[in-house]
Amino acid sequence: MITVRLPGTLRVGPSDTLMFEGPLATVAELIDALDARIPGFKDQLDDSVFNFAVNDEMLLQHARERRLADGDTVEIIPTISGG
Amino acid sequence: MGGDYTRWMSIRDRVARLMAEMSQAPQYPTQGATVFVDLERREVLRGYTPMRVVRSLLAGRGANMFYLHRLLDESLAPLHPDIPLIFGSGVLTGIVPSAARGNATSWSPESGVLMDCNAGDYFPSFIRMNGIDHVVLYGQAASWTMLHVKNGEIAFLDATPYAGLDNIDLRERIPNDFGGTWARDLAMVNITRAGENLVLTSAIMGGPKACYARGGPGAKMGSLKLKAIVVQGQTRDFETAQPYKGYNRTIAQKLLDTSVVKHALKTMGTPFLYRPSRMLGAMGTKNNQLTTWTDKLDAENITPYRSGMTGCFRCPVNCRPLNDLNAPADRYGAGDGPEYVTLGKFGPNIGVDRIESVIRLNNICNDLGFDTASTGSSIAWAMELYQRGIITKAQTQGLDLTWGNAEAVEQLLFQMSHREGFGNIVADSTRAVERGHYPGDALKYRMAVKGLMQSDPHDARILKAFALGLAVATRGMDHLRNRVTLEINSRINDDPAFKERLYGGAVSAAPNSYETKERAVRVCENTYGVGDSVGMCRFTTKLFNSPSLPGLEEFANQIGNVTGLQFSDSELSEVGHNIMGVERLINGRLGVTRAHDTLPDRWFEEPVTVGQYAGEKIDRAEFEKMLSRFYEISGLDDTGQPAGSWRAQLAETLGQ
Repeated sequence: MITVRLPGTLRVGPSDTLMFEGPLATVAELIDALDARIPGFKDQLDDSVFNFAVNDEMLLQHARERRLADGDTVEIIPTISGG
Repeated sequence: MGGDYTRWMSIRDRVARLMAEMSQAPQYPTQGATVFVDLERREVLRGYTPMRVVRSLLAGRGANMFYLHRLLDESLAPLHPDIPLIFGSGVLTGIVPSAARGNATSWSPESGVLMDCNAGDYFPSFIRMNGIDHVVLYGQAASWTMLHVKNGEIAFLDATPYAGLDNIDLRERIPNDFGGTWARDLAMVNITRAGENLVLTSAIMGGPKACYARGGPGAKMGSLKLKAIVVQGQTRDFETAQPYKGYNRTIAQKLLDTSVVKHALKTMGTPFLYRPSRMLGAMGTKNNQLTTWTDKLDAENITPYRSGMTGCFRCPVNCRPLNDLNAPADRYGAGDGPEYVTLGKFGPNIGVDRIESVIRLNNICNDLGFDTASTGSSIAWAMELYQRGIITKAQTQGLDLTWGNAEAVEQLLFQMSHREGFGNIVADSTRAVERGHYPGDALKYRMAVKGLMQSDPHDARILKAFALGLAVATRGMDHLRNRVTLEINSRINDDPAFKERLYGGAVSAAPNSYETKERAVRVCENTYGVGDSVGMCRFTTKLFNSPSLPGLEEFANQIGNVTGLQFSDSELSEVGHNIMGVERLINGRLGVTRAHDTLPDRWFEEPVTVGQYAGEKIDRAEFEKMLSRFYEISGLDDTGQPAGSWRAQLAETLGQ
């Protein structure tokens, strides 16, 4: 089971959390699974503002190749700077 | 540079010499006047920035540097009334969506180097509606004075009745006394009691929260005995060289279509960044002794208290969150903000973990007129000294500066504003050792570069491009001059070809690498320098938050439409480079050398201890090599000053 937490602006239902069962080896495969469940979602994620974190580890590189394991929590986080 | 010209001349002689070179008519459509305001003699002179300066430096921050360089007498001190305080709006300020900004420039009483601050809200646009681009202030008024600007005319008014008022009370009084409505036909820059009392972390307020913040501008304005500049006037269309509104719509659409605007700025504002920074292990905590903090301050936890969003003049983004604590309270139960910087500086950096406390302290700072970056950092510095026993309750006069003691911090803010008790010490910010308040070993824990505390909460031991940017920023340790924010975006790091196009050359994909980061910092510094000189908000300028926002191409197109002046993208980039060059010339006159382009010792000596980048710190040898490469591609000599033919070109622009 992979748990996915979405930011408010990408939320598609009342909850910010989605659950995925089945073998998902990488973040890239998870994105495909998200797109299958929410058509068009992949295009929205193809955007530099969104970073991924796996088990609270921010991925600054090689995000889509990141290996996943059962029980992981993947978070999609808009990342900006401020003043 | 400088030489005999800069010596033995009073400010009035310098202004007179400058005026002799200036035109009495606009040099391009929409150009406003530069007004030289002698507060002591109550005299006003007008001229227009020469075209050679506009071609090299534009307006706003760029032309401000021209004026400061020409008028600066470095034999004086920053708060001397012959040291000018200069406001400047950008070429596109008030005309283009999200271009609502202006700069305030002087010699910083806080840092001792260049002071240059940027703010939005309505003043920079409304002063342009009055046909004024730059306001150069000097001389000390005989008593508290207010400037009133209407129909392009400047009147000197007695501000004695307003002395002692902080931001909330003053902004309640002015519409009643002058007529008009904020944001419709009334704008103001003003100081609070903190500025009147020459507190070195005091800001010049430009709105309920917006402020010219860094380097002690409130103290500088207070030293001239200028309480406020009130601007009245209806918004109007400018007569431009060519039609421009069609391209304005293109820019507005580009803003609104950009993901970072849709998904972050428009919905929650900048506090969004808190979460990724703390998860990365890069959130400055307890004066950067630690680098992560509680999830209780994540932006989502502000949501219950976010009562709306607001924005600056004609900006479609509206990124500024409003707050309401929804509880019976005094005047600090609701307000404007907090931004990410304030969240970080008054949350993790002082050990506060209650969002309600951060919001309340934010609201107090807005009223008291504080730069929350310098103020929060100065308090954090004091707290670490207290933790280490370097200062005790004897010095704090009974204040318990234990981490997280929000009540004590609140008390301290008011003491700072009044320069009372221990607040009188913290009010001296980075200069507390120099002024004999703290022992010398306190400097080891001061998180400052070039005498200025760090602007943002991001601990840059991991991301080396961030670290280089903070080291070389001309106003001191500040991220808004050159932050290569996109270093934290995996989508860009994982696409080397795109990243290469973005920065005009290869930049290492590894965030913690020292290699090639100088290129990204150079490009950002050029782009942001231009952004400040056209008046564009940093948040909506390409490279700061997104690769898709308006950048040099859009600026060049709209400068052409509005002014008739043609710039290529590369020529505009060179303008940004020139601005940095003049700023370094000013700093050189103030004693800044390569040794000042550095970082706090802590970042060289103490590694990050959490997260996937645990163990990261700044390697001195690698940093020095990166700095040398930055100097080389920036055209700087070994001392950090402009070199060779470029220096000669700058001298020609400056008229010396």
